[in-house]
Amino acid sequence: MGAVVREFTKGLWKEVPPFRLVLGLCPTLAVTTAAKNGVGMGLATTFVLVCSNLIISILRNAIPKKVRIAAFIVVIASFVVIVELMMQAYFYPLYKILGIFIPLIVVNCIILGRAEAFASKNSVLPSIADGLGMGLGFTMSLTLLGAIRELLGNGTVFGIHVMWESFRPFGIMLKPPGAFICLGLILSLMNWISSKQRSH
Amino acid sequence: MVFVLTAICAGSALVLAYANKATKPAREYQLLKYVQGPSVKKVLKGYDNDPIRDVIEISIGKDEKGHSIKIFPAKKDGKIIGIAYSSSAQGYHGQIEVMVGIDMNGTITGISIMRHSETPGLGARVVEPAFTNQFAGLKLSGQLNLSTRGGKIDGVSGATFSSQGVVSAVRKALELFPKVKKEVS
Repeated sequence: MGAVVREFTKGLWKEVPPFRLVLGLCPTLAVTTAAKNGVGMGLATTFVLVCSNLIISILRNAIPKKVRIAAFIVVIASFVVIVELMMQAYFYPLYKILGIFIPLIVVNCIILGRAEAFASKNSVLPSIADGLGMGLGFTMSLTLLGAIRELLGNGTVFGIHVMWESFRPFGIMLKPPGAFICLGLILSLMNWISSKQRSH
Repeated sequence: MVFVLTAICAGSALVLAYANKATKPAREYQLLKYVQGPSVKKVLKGYDNDPIRDVIEISIGKDEKGHSIKIFPAKKDGKIIGIAYSSSAQGYHGQIEVMVGIDMNGTITGISIMRHSETPGLGARVVEPAFTNQFAGLKLSGQLNLSTRGGKIDGVSGATFSSQGVVSAVRKALELFPKVKKEVS
């Protein structure tokens, strides 16, 4: 059980995907113009990650080594299409905002990375824990980035006004440069915290 | 090797076919609600039902893509007082798709442009209320034409083709109206 918990928690801080592994940057930078978009994208990715980890760890002994990547991609792509259909059916406004980045979850390297590095070598329970941890870590990161950009670029968080009346939003925070600046600052902050921890 | 990959692909195809079928009604409803719905609500007046839920599909006169036409009825106390359906015609760039609301006497209650690819700043200005509001109250007659052709509608300046496209789409909708009326009432 301890091992399962460890696999789950590593995705939340030690190996949190966009900030530590610096993986999956395309959606991280592109859709985080608002906190809500970050949550939506993160949860869609988490769903695909958990389901594909589950299926791949079940099939791990049946899949021949030579075609494993092709097999992984088929499994991942199937779940991405399911997510896309579900979002079209139940979260249409969010689906319109996330647009092309939903189908692009297929090529999100976190998902193939976890399939190849973890699910194809471990049993079902740790694989689910790994997928869930990584997915939630990804969701948290995107939500944090989205919240910061929304706060500075629009004066709101999750659509609720939090800044004072005379606050003039920085338009640049909602544009691509704002995403890079924000990501860079978060990365350096996390590295600073880690180096502090190590020196203690 | 080949067998396993084939099995995985077949399994995936099965699951996706099922997911596609299972979500189809919900997806179509969302499309209605967020794309066609707002237009329908704009062009119909004085109804107390949900025209989107009460949609009627009839097969007379297929649209450009060969789909049967969807008729959105506006009802008051259970009686149909008007209907809305989409119509399209050639603009300056491609098709202009217009939702047209018509009361049971054949008078336009409103129009709303749903889709177009006209030039931004010129032809695209046909979506503005200043242009679209001129249609309400007109019937299929000589008045339903651009003012340059003796009608009552002032085209958007510099965008005669786009304006004419909208007028043509609305006329097309009204020409179909007698048939549609027979079908729904």
